[in-house]
Amino acid sequence: MPSISNLLLPAVLFFVLGIFTRVIKSDLRFPPDLAKILSIYLLMAIGLHGGNALAKADLFIALNSVMWAFILGFTLPIIGYLILLATRKVGLLDAAAISAHYGSVSAGTFLTAIAYLDNAGIKYEDYPLIMLAIMESPAIVVGLLLAAKARRTIAARKSKAASHGDEKLALTNSDNVDNEEASFTSLLHDAFTNGSVVILLGSMVIGAISLPSGMEKLFPFVDDIFMGVLCLFLFEMGNVAGKRLGDLRQVGIVLALFGIVMPLIGGVLGVYIGLNILDFSVGGATLVAVLAASASYIAVPPAMRLAVPEANPSYYLTLSLGITFPFNVIVGIPLFHKLAQLNAI
Amino acid sequence: MNRLYPEKLLNIITIDALEEKLVESFRKYGASGYTILRAQGEGSSGVRSDMTGFDANIMIKVIIPPERLTAMLDSLERKINKGHHLTVFIVDVEVLSPEKFNARMR
Repeated sequence: MPSISNLLLPAVLFFVLGIFTRVIKSDLRFPPDLAKILSIYLLMAIGLHGGNALAKADLFIALNSVMWAFILGFTLPIIGYLILLATRKVGLLDAAAISAHYGSVSAGTFLTAIAYLDNAGIKYEDYPLIMLAIMESPAIVVGLLLAAKARRTIAARKSKAASHGDEKLALTNSDNVDNEEASFTSLLHDAFTNGSVVILLGSMVIGAISLPSGMEKLFPFVDDIFMGVLCLFLFEMGNVAGKRLGDLRQVGIVLALFGIVMPLIGGVLGVYIGLNILDFSVGGATLVAVLAASASYIAVPPAMRLAVPEANPSYYLTLSLGITFPFNVIVGIPLFHKLAQLNAI
Repeated sequence: MNRLYPEKLLNIITIDALEEKLVESFRKYGASGYTILRAQGEGSSGVRSDMTGFDANIMIKVIIPPERLTAMLDSLERKINKGHHLTVFIVDVEVLSPEKFNARMR
């Protein structure tokens, strides 16, 4: 029973414990910035580890993985956007901001999947790690483009409504031309120089070019304590996710369902791409599925707050952190693994 | 009491992602300095008490000479009109050594 064995991983159990502390209204509070500190460590460790392994990698497969990471990162938000518009539950700008989260990835979910595969003794390729680094950014760009398009649509609707003679509208439009505001290029720069991307890619390069003797000394730091830190990280993230569960009512059942349907679509696409296009093993395809299924809650929310301030943050935070993240950690990972197994035969 | 001079204290509560943009405009509109504190709270757009460190609120305090205040407020208002969530309020304060607050940031 793969689903039961996943629930019995210490890291996943700590995640559940984190949610539980919220449910029973425990006074447990993590010190400020703990999750940020732990995530810097986790990205560094997985980057060093993966970079070291990828030094012997096949360049063609690596480039192919990068290309498919871009394709997934650009396509998933558009699929999400169209589904969200079809539900008619959110405005255009909310849909743009939410779908950007679903095209991007959650490193926490990816690392839990690694823990799951390691625990089950399933081998996996290291290429999905490059995809993790790549997939942080494209969805942010798509989100910005969708939001820009949405703003134009909204402005057109408004001016149609205002054709009776509302002069104020012309004024607010000219206000939009504010040279001190973030330009599109500076937002692009932010998307690709995002902290997690820099840590992950930088550590991978260091892991790839370091002397083997130097890397050996790092193994206690990179490998031995990794699972313990992941437990601690998921413990706190469970606590944060549990807090978000309280906002479920505000989000509504239809959007909550989106938070489950969207990872399923991404997961199926990921299994297909991992197995049939990139020719990965079952473990590797499971990781690609987890990448495609996961929604960002670290890199994208601040980017959307800045670039799409009109969207309601409690929608995208509740969906990615309160619904999709727990769904993937508890149900999604074993499910995508099973799916990959069935399709590999 | 004649050692004290009236100034305006501008308070802004917003997301930390806006920090750089705001500091840029303080420099542009002639503030003498600023202080930033981490903040958490709740408002009409939901709870902001994220202590994970990924997505935090800040409170900025700026003392600004009254004659430079209007331009500063106009720029903040443009940001609010764009949809950014900024809580802005002004307090009358009295300061020692007013020349400190008239000097511009380097």
